Amino acid sequence: MSKSSMRKMLLRRGVNIIITIFGIMTLNFILVHAMPGDPILNMVPRDPKLDPAYKEALVDKFNLDASLPERYVTYLWNTITLDWGTSYMQDHREVVDIVFTDMRWTVLLIGTSTIITLILGMLIGAYGAYTRGGAFDMSSTALMLFFYGMPIFWFGLVLQMLFSTYPAGMDWWPQLPTGGYYDTVEHGSTFHWDFWLILSVLEHLILPSMTLAVGSLAGVAIVMRSSLLDVMSEDYILTARAKGLTDFQVLRLHAMPNGMPPMIALIALSLAFVIGGAYQIEYVFNYPGIGFRTLNAIWELDFPLLQFIVVIGGVAVVIANFLADIILIFIDPRIKIA
Amino acid sequence: MLVSDIDEHKKKKRPTLARQRHGLVLMAFTVLMAAFASAVLPAPALAAPPIADAGSDQIVEQYERVTFDGSGSTDDVGIVNYTWSFIYGDNVWQLYGEVNDSFYFIEMGNYTVTLNVTDGDGESSTDEMIVTVIKEKVNFIEDYWWSLPIIGATITAVVILWIVLYSGLDVVSVPTREKSRLLMHRFRYVSKQVVTHKMGAVGTAILGFFFALAVFGPLLAPYSVDPASDDVTELYLKPSPEHWMGTDSRGVDIYSQLLHGARTSIIVGIFAAIIASLMGAAIGLYSGYIGGWQDEVIMRVNDVILSIPWLVLMILLAAMVGEITLTLLIVIIGVTGWSGTARLVRAQVMSLRERMYVERARAIGSGDMHIINKHIMPNAFPLIFANTILTVAISILSEATLSFLRMRPVGTTTWGTMLSYAEQSSALQSGLYWWIIAPGLCIVFLVLGFTLLGHALDEVVNPRLRRR
Repeated sequence: MSKSSMRKMLLRRGVNIIITIFGIMTLNFILVHAMPGDPILNMVPRDPKLDPAYKEALVDKFNLDASLPERYVTYLWNTITLDWGTSYMQDHREVVDIVFTDMRWTVLLIGTSTIITLILGMLIGAYGAYTRGGAFDMSSTALMLFFYGMPIFWFGLVLQMLFSTYPAGMDWWPQLPTGGYYDTVEHGSTFHWDFWLILSVLEHLILPSMTLAVGSLAGVAIVMRSSLLDVMSEDYILTARAKGLTDFQVLRLHAMPNGMPPMIALIALSLAFVIGGAYQIEYVFNYPGIGFRTLNAIWELDFPLLQFIVVIGGVAVVIANFLADIILIFIDPRIKIA
Repeated sequence: MLVSDIDEHKKKKRPTLARQRHGLVLMAFTVLMAAFASAVLPAPALAAPPIADAGSDQIVEQYERVTFDGSGSTDDVGIVNYTWSFIYGDNVWQLYGEVNDSFYFIEMGNYTVTLNVTDGDGESSTDEMIVTVIKEKVNFIEDYWWSLPIIGATITAVVILWIVLYSGLDVVSVPTREKSRLLMHRFRYVSKQVVTHKMGAVGTAILGFFFALAVFGPLLAPYSVDPASDDVTELYLKPSPEHWMGTDSRGVDIYSQLLHGARTSIIVGIFAAIIASLMGAAIGLYSGYIGGWQDEVIMRVNDVILSIPWLVLMILLAAMVGEITLTLLIVIIGVTGWSGTARLVRAQVMSLRERMYVERARAIGSGDMHIINKHIMPNAFPLIFANTILTVAISILSEATLSFLRMRPVGTTTWGTMLSYAEQSSALQSGLYWWIIAPGLCIVFLVLGFTLLGHALDEVVNPRLRRR
């Protein structure tokens, strides 16, 4: 690919990304402000003796009596100037501050589970393709299809059930924490770096990350298997075998690199799906991340917080897709620039 | 003593005396005036207690949201606080604040509704009314509207098939008959391929079971699932011969709910998928065939919808609607699900558009509609159909997830709402394991059935995949 065409493509994609982000912001604004209910009713306590000036001050502060177009313009301008405002609730903390505090936990959850998913999924898919039609392939495909149709939150509930009881009276069965992010009774409610606290965090991470990993395992394994099968029927694999490479060498040197592009596209595309899964898991496991916060923000009509979370999620997906496209162009010379 | 000092002295003393006397006079005057005022002038307005007015007694239907209007209440100072309380048996719900408040009636029977108003002086008054909740009337058209198109389409299809295949009448031309014979042949071929395909056969079997459950399940259910019916028994009963899976937090039999859930889940899945596929196919076809700036605009909109995480989009839409019915749920899932299909159809149409036979058709003067109808649709349809089956699976999952996150459709039993109630009333602690395991397994296997059938169809109709 020549340099100028590369530059042209990047420019085109960049413009598209800006348009998409603008679209996300607009749709986000419309959806959030179309919700029924008046946020001011949630913000002021329902006390008849309350000073009306307090309510007035809040309305003034959050510009709540402005018309919708006016608020939209303000919202766009504030976004461009990176002023995300303060939350309606949560003692009017900065939205950015709230989101980045919660984001640590969500990123930890998604990161851990994605690593587990990728390693397990690629191994299962590759071994399934390698022993095609065998017992392992059949049983793993059946299991993956089972996982594929499984509501993630339900698997979370089942795991909670399994690891909070002693099934069939087996008293050696391990018990795992089924909610929260660490033992706040023992370590206090503020996070600090402490060996036992980190250990507690990891212990609380086991069930949620396992759930999320298993929930998205099926997609990775199935795509890995089918893209490897696609590659294995190519002629150059036959050539490689003919020149005497072992099965492992064929897989490692010829099949895997050529089976990668669909995987990378899948990982980027499934980010939106994984974020959705994380929402369900945080709800089931009371895990105080972004998803938990979003559901609360919807119930409390906390518009600035909600807007910021949705925009951040959308932008993350857009950027992941863009990066995946760039990587694909670099590793797969067959891809032509559209 | 200087004169001036004497003057000072006098000045100091006398005014004091005068003031004292004056004060006495003033006091007497005030008392007199007060007596006079109280005797002659009307008494100053002492705050009167407010008069509450909650309205007259009402009869409402179950699952109805009723808005109460307390604006009939009067007070001379002004009412500062309205408190509505709703009493049903031992349950009391209180709503504070607004003149108008709405309440959602679920249980059957009498609710006592009390309005307590407080005025600025802290005095209050109460008014009471009785709301009688009667059983929801079933309106066939409203509740079973979805069956009308199916019945209509079935009758039409049977009549057309009968005319086409078995009548010797001349209403049908020979080419049409030949075409329909070929269509039947192709249908037989595809279904044979699907059934002999291992995945397809398993999927068909699973779906057959669940469709039978959807049709006959509610008839087989030993108890009613209506929380207002007489079948409601003790809450949280453990599994027993009477209640195979126990009873839930409302005293409703879990096994009966499970049997009822199949129908709603399949209806939601199929109708949402049809909406999504129709929208996706139409948009993808337009975008792929027309191209140009229209395509650009549509693809950007598509990017936006694909970028906002799918679950967030659905939750926001559901929150926007407020109270969700089954129909609204179907529309929400359908409307958010079209973008994937649109992308797929667009890619397919773009490749079909460049084929030689389309070029040829254009060269002999065919219009766009003709080309779409005769050349593009027949080739894109199998793909759309297979994709629709896969969308059904995703829609069923979406329904379960939305219901689970407490955005459940009112007045219906689905597997998702069962799981939601189970989570909400901590089924784990009450040892009702079936309450969680059974609906989940049903969802998994139903989705599995659709997925298997969809993949099998995809492989049969999509020759590119068949060599695997």
